[in-house]
Amino acid sequence: MSPTPMTDPVRHTIAMSAPPDDVNTVHALLVEVWADAPAVSTMDRVCFETALIELASNVISHAGDGSGIQCLLTVDVFDDHVEARLSDSGEPGDLQLTPRAMPDELSESGRGIPLIQALVNEVEYAREGSLNQWRISRNFRS
Amino acid sequence: MGFTVKELEKGVAVVRVEGRLNMTTAGGLRDLVASAVAEGNVRVVVDLAAVEFIDSSGLGALINGLKTARQAGGDLRIASPNDQVKLVLSLTNVEKVLPPYESVDVAYAND
Repeated sequence: MSPTPMTDPVRHTIAMSAPPDDVNTVHALLVEVWADAPAVSTMDRVCFETALIELASNVISHAGDGSGIQCLLTVDVFDDHVEARLSDSGEPGDLQLTPRAMPDELSESGRGIPLIQALVNEVEYAREGSLNQWRISRNFRS
Repeated sequence: MGFTVKELEKGVAVVRVEGRLNMTTAGGLRDLVASAVAEGNVRVVVDLAAVEFIDSSGLGALINGLKTARQAGGDLRIASPNDQVKLVLSLTNVEKVLPPYESVDVAYAND
């Protein structure tokens, strides 16, 4: 029996300029994504949205020299997973993507990357030319 | 997004947060808790019933408030988080220092 061919993903793309865009722009995009992908469970939505907002926060807050940042965000919902690709014009990422432990409970920062890693299956980063390229992917629970 | 503060009883402030507690709003919560503590309300309850979403910036603001209140001899407790907030508290282990209470009224009921 041949595998079922994968259907085209439900795709949403947005170009952002921060400021004035911020993480609430990403929340607004996800409202549209979930409206067009009603089969995605609440748990998968919550986990993916939390991870993507952490990633966007990280990108915006490390924008570099204060002149703002340009981002292109694409969210694709497939039959079995959801992924986001984010490219940004900020300084090269200095993030360690090896598995990171949560900081001490009373630490006020340092949870963003470990939280992303706890919420999605794949986190990738590459520097390509003058852009940072991020990708996160979460497999749906069957 | 907004905050309201009221005095539940002498020395106890309730800070109600509405909307998303993220990098755009975390600073406002930090400032508000610091003001409440400076005014003598060293026991603080952050009412999360109307918070739809929290990220690590929001957690940082809550922990900052917890330290501020404790340094003044008080405490900060959280009440009525939704499932997303509970998930983030659990995954980050922050629930160990900020265990959620069912409601504002019970946050200091046994003290």
